[in-house]
Amino acid sequence: MAEESPRSLAYLREEMGRFPAALAAEFQRALDRMPDSITEAQTVVWAGVGVEIAAQTVRSWEAASQYYAVSPSVVVCMPFRYFARWAECGSSLCRESPTLAAAFFEASPGTMARLRSRHIESWAGLGRSLYKGTWKSSTLACKFFAASPDLVESLTFPQLERFVSFLAALSHRSSDLSLECLGLGRQIFPLMGDDKDAFIGLASTLVETNWREVKTFFDAGARALPRIDPGQRMHFLRLARRLVGAGNANVPMLMLDMSQSLFQIERKHHAAILALAESLVEVSPAAVPEFVKGTPLVLDKISLNQIQAWFDQGVTILRQNPDGGMAYFKMESARAEEALESISSRIEFERVKDVMEMYCRALAGADVKLAVTDDLVEKNIGWVSNESPSTEGSTVYVPTVVDRYLTKNENFEWLKVVSTHQTAHLEFDSFGFRFDAPSRLFDDARHTVEERKKKLAEEASDDRSLPRQDYATDAQRFFNLFEDRKLALDIFTVVEDGRLDSRVKTEYWGIRRPYARVQLHSLSERPSVKDLPAREALVEFLVRLSLQQHRGLPAPKPYLREARRIARIAGKVLSPRAAVEDVAEATLRIYAIISRIPNEKLAPEEWEDVDVDESGEEYEDAEGMDQLLRQMGQGLDMDLRPGDEEEFESSQEVGFRGDFKPELVQLLAQLRVQEEQGGQEGGEPISQEALEELLKNSAELDLEAVQGEVQNAAGFANNILQEAGASLPDAAQSGQGPPAHVHEDGGELEPDEPQTFVYDEWDFRADDYKPRWCVVRQKTMMEGDPAFYGATLHSYGALVGKVRRQFELMAPETFRKVRKLEDGEEIDIDDVVEAMVDIKTGVSPSDKLYWRRNKVQRDVSVAFLLDTSASTAEAIDEGRRAPEDWGAPDDPVEYMAWLRTRRGEAVKRSYKRIIDVEKEAIVLLINALEAIGDVYGIYGFSGYGRENVEFYTIKDLDENLSDRVKRRIDRVAPLHATRMGPAIRHATTKLAEQDARTKLLFLISDGRPQDRGYSREGVEKEYAVHDTKMALDEARHQDINAFCLTVDKNGHDYLKTMCEDIGYEVLDDINVLPERLLQLYRRLTM
Amino acid sequence: MTTQTLYRSYIIEEYHLTREPYYVPVGDEVELFEAAYKAKIPVLFKGPTGCGKTRFVEYMSYRLGRPLTKVNESSGGGHNLPLVTIACHEDLTASDLVGRYLLEGENTVWIDGPLTRAVKAGGICYLDEIVEARKDTTVLIHPLTDHRRILPVEKRGELLEAADGFLLVLSYNPGYQSALKDLKHSTRQRFVAIEFDYPPRPIEAEIVRHESGADEAVAHQLAKLGEKVRNLKEHGLGEGASTRLLIYAGRLITQGIAPRRACQVAINWAVTDDESVQRSIEEIISSIFE
Repeated sequence: MAEESPRSLAYLREEMGRFPAALAAEFQRALDRMPDSITEAQTVVWAGVGVEIAAQTVRSWEAASQYYAVSPSVVVCMPFRYFARWAECGSSLCRESPTLAAAFFEASPGTMARLRSRHIESWAGLGRSLYKGTWKSSTLACKFFAASPDLVESLTFPQLERFVSFLAALSHRSSDLSLECLGLGRQIFPLMGDDKDAFIGLASTLVETNWREVKTFFDAGARALPRIDPGQRMHFLRLARRLVGAGNANVPMLMLDMSQSLFQIERKHHAAILALAESLVEVSPAAVPEFVKGTPLVLDKISLNQIQAWFDQGVTILRQNPDGGMAYFKMESARAEEALESISSRIEFERVKDVMEMYCRALAGADVKLAVTDDLVEKNIGWVSNESPSTEGSTVYVPTVVDRYLTKNENFEWLKVVSTHQTAHLEFDSFGFRFDAPSRLFDDARHTVEERKKKLAEEASDDRSLPRQDYATDAQRFFNLFEDRKLALDIFTVVEDGRLDSRVKTEYWGIRRPYARVQLHSLSERPSVKDLPAREALVEFLVRLSLQQHRGLPAPKPYLREARRIARIAGKVLSPRAAVEDVAEATLRIYAIISRIPNEKLAPEEWEDVDVDESGEEYEDAEGMDQLLRQMGQGLDMDLRPGDEEEFESSQEVGFRGDFKPELVQLLAQLRVQEEQGGQEGGEPISQEALEELLKNSAELDLEAVQGEVQNAAGFANNILQEAGASLPDAAQSGQGPPAHVHEDGGELEPDEPQTFVYDEWDFRADDYKPRWCVVRQKTMMEGDPAFYGATLHSYGALVGKVRRQFELMAPETFRKVRKLEDGEEIDIDDVVEAMVDIKTGVSPSDKLYWRRNKVQRDVSVAFLLDTSASTAEAIDEGRRAPEDWGAPDDPVEYMAWLRTRRGEAVKRSYKRIIDVEKEAIVLLINALEAIGDVYGIYGFSGYGRENVEFYTIKDLDENLSDRVKRRIDRVAPLHATRMGPAIRHATTKLAEQDARTKLLFLISDGRPQDRGYSREGVEKEYAVHDTKMALDEARHQDINAFCLTVDKNGHDYLKTMCEDIGYEVLDDINVLPERLLQLYRRLTM
Repeated sequence: MTTQTLYRSYIIEEYHLTREPYYVPVGDEVELFEAAYKAKIPVLFKGPTGCGKTRFVEYMSYRLGRPLTKVNESSGGGHNLPLVTIACHEDLTASDLVGRYLLEGENTVWIDGPLTRAVKAGGICYLDEIVEARKDTTVLIHPLTDHRRILPVEKRGELLEAADGFLLVLSYNPGYQSALKDLKHSTRQRFVAIEFDYPPRPIEAEIVRHESGADEAVAHQLAKLGEKVRNLKEHGLGEGASTRLLIYAGRLITQGIAPRRACQVAINWAVTDDESVQRSIEEIISSIFE
């Protein structure tokens, strides 16, 4: 531009005058801000370009004005040489579109600060490449410039180029989409690390394969990537790209789902999971998202190291059976659960409950229950820790999950040790403490101390008229002896636990080793003794002693003698002869010694390690003991302590021993007895006040720590009274609300109401069960008009009589003559003749000459399962459409509407429906069955969805025929869909409970099984058929003969599969159903 | 030529015990039985399987067969009380007990049934698990068990009067029979009933030790195991582990089988087929045995 004769600045100003004044003003402002380093000639050049731009078109003065405005900030970024080129770029852009140029200039200050000068032209070129002359493309290009400062910040130039070419490619499809992606890109690129290439690359791939997903992809990227470990984002994108490459649909959605799952696991695990996922792409791309989605659940149960094994097993299944593998990774397969269970090292309470409960029962010899600690805490009766195992006298509480060790075995052993210890409380009678029972190993001192205390109290208060009993339980009476109950409880707990541990080990040799291991482990978790003040240190000394540490026990030097003494006392109760009363005596003595030791911190040099003899050496009360106990009796145990000592903290609980609350347990036991006896016998009942008094004083209760609103002793007392009285199950909580809609792809279901049952479902593609997949809701059929029963019998008149006679004839036929017996009702003349012949011919004859009539008792239980699906509303006369055509909508709301109209139609019909014939058949059947006295039940089934399989009882197996049953038949009506499998399973369960020699399951249906999500994916009716077949096979394995009778003329095709080894019949004419049913029944049960 | 008999066979009524069976009295059952025998009152044993009912009757027959004052040790100087044990089963008929005609060549011969033999010989007739037998057999014993003490032999038209030493003893396990198989009251009320149960732990340990040859510690642990497993009765177990099973386990251990394994096969798998109960018992075993 410098070629022309240099125009003067004045000339240029004049030129500017041709344009709106704003331009000149802007120029002047810019000129003032131009750096001093710009020469005059350069200034002229600069100003000239502006005028040039302004002159291009009508609106280009605006671009020029923008040019001036930004120039001062641009010129400082680069040498003037480049600056001139920049201006030239703008100028040429303006020739294309002034708006574009304006946007270019506007974005320049921000961009130039970060862009290499040599890229200026390329950058302008990028913008121009987006501009296609249309209004939309102009917007895109402008937006690109506007976004450039941010983009340049987060992308390298080659990346930027690729991004722009992606945008250009996308704009061919949709400019709007391109525009949106530009905006999203601006947001998300800063979130990414080195993975932008991958991201842009993936986006470009998507443009080619499925451009409509691009935006969701950006959206997903924006939301998904931050959830992933920064170092792994590239991997994640690479995975997504491979999924796109493998033809997975809707990858953005999958990305979101996967990132959501990854977000739930620890970031440091992302790398491993993504690596596994990537290796899975080669086997089955479709399984990848399922695998990733399942990882949080899986990692919840097993560790990262173990996931490989679990994964490998899934891959193996996947290779053999893709559907099975999918189900495996979806966790919708029993095999996946088993695999997890076998790999997982943790022990889940539910899985071992039965075994451990029986174990505890056997040990305790009482009806012990086993439950999780959460239940105990929930009762809010004084136990607060969800972690600590405990017992309240009738139930042993253990943690829900044990996951402390690396192997399942160790975890199980821990649970076993814990259960054994808690059961030992019951077996060795911790809670049977009686204040008056003599101890075996010590001279009883309890009474002496109590009397002294009493005397003291009497002296203190002149009121002699209250010799009232101030305790509710023996344990309370015992703890009343101590001023410092907390210390006493601590000592009592340690000594008692020590006794139990030692007792368990002498009684149960087999568990010694795991027991010792757990003890050792607990020992390693103990706090350092030397950090504790003296009195606490001595309690800790006892704890360690009880955990079998005999060597190198640190003890405070000033109290070595005391330490050795308490060790000897504690050692004494390790004898198998020791009972809880001995523990009480030991507690008394140890307390007497420890309680007077000031709880003061000691210097590090004031400690000495002590060795204690393992063999509980003989301890005899020394003279000093009497003195100590006397002082205790005088209530001096606290008085002798220095005032400035540290507050006594209870010793840290020993994990496997858990909570021990003798006072509370005794109280509960006593209250229960009181409740049972109606409060009349068994001493005076515990009053509410006495109860509150106990709870207030007890050291076992930390009123502060208890959750919930009840924080005072009174509230507690209520809870406890309730617990003691209301051990009966709570009133049934029957919330009969409408069942929640459960999505077909959801997980397992649980029975949520009474009368609901959960069954597995067979997935033939996966070749495995989907665990707990269907909920059967059992209901009793409503009652209708009783006239129906009689009317039906009447209308079938002749047939009724005939059938009844036939059935009555069946009964005597069941006597069977048994021949060739050694002994019987009579001699069989044929056999005798034969024997005589034998004798005559010199052969030794058979002595089996008798016959006997064996009365074979007819012993039949039969369940009739009636399909009451909507399709039974079909009129009989109407040419029956194939059931596939009935066109039920898949959406539940639509479905219900559809159903209503259908049923509305049915009411208007005057002709017979399939269901009507079914009902008539039932009436005849009942009539016939009553004649032979078989046990029979009649049920209808229908339902909608796997969470809602309706199972209607018309007549239960154990029910007698009554008018109510007759009335129920009238109400049998077409309902919803036909999910046969669960209904068959439920009927099977019912039959299995029957004690009959012959059990029959009779299925009467009008078509193939189908239900929402049952006859999946339209064509795949096979699923339902296979599940039904499996259900029938299950029945057969339980010795139940099944028979299917269908009125669906097209039934042969699927019944062949469904009833492979099972009898079935297809009725051509529905009208013969009642008669045929009876014939079949006779034939089957003869 | 000398042939050596490879087996020993006895004529029913000549079978009597020559050596004192091992039996440890738990309560006063010995005195009771002796008194009942002398007073000629039939006895009914009630108790779970394998708790020593049969052993007790053997012991008593030996004991009662011996003269009270031991004059001559060597030559079994007593009148030896025969013991006829009949295990009852569903198809046991009256003629199985009383006797029947058999064809022998052209003729028929009458063969006395075991009960008849015991009646004639004046021994103890022990009907084990009486409820298993058919109803007609229980009626058959009625005249034998009251003051008449006679056995009608219908087919020969005879009435047999029981010899002096005859005593009918039944055993009956009230636990596991179905309600159908309960003993009729008209039958039950002809007997004095002695209840048996598994012996208390120390006695049981001693029995196990003696019978199995296991050492004392093992015997004690077995007895403990028995006690614990019996706690599970009605909680999934129909019947607890019997003393007999404990002895079997003890014998296996003496033969060198590892204790846990021995208990598994002799006790756990013998008492139940229920897998979860088996697992529970497995845990008990592993707690008790190293």
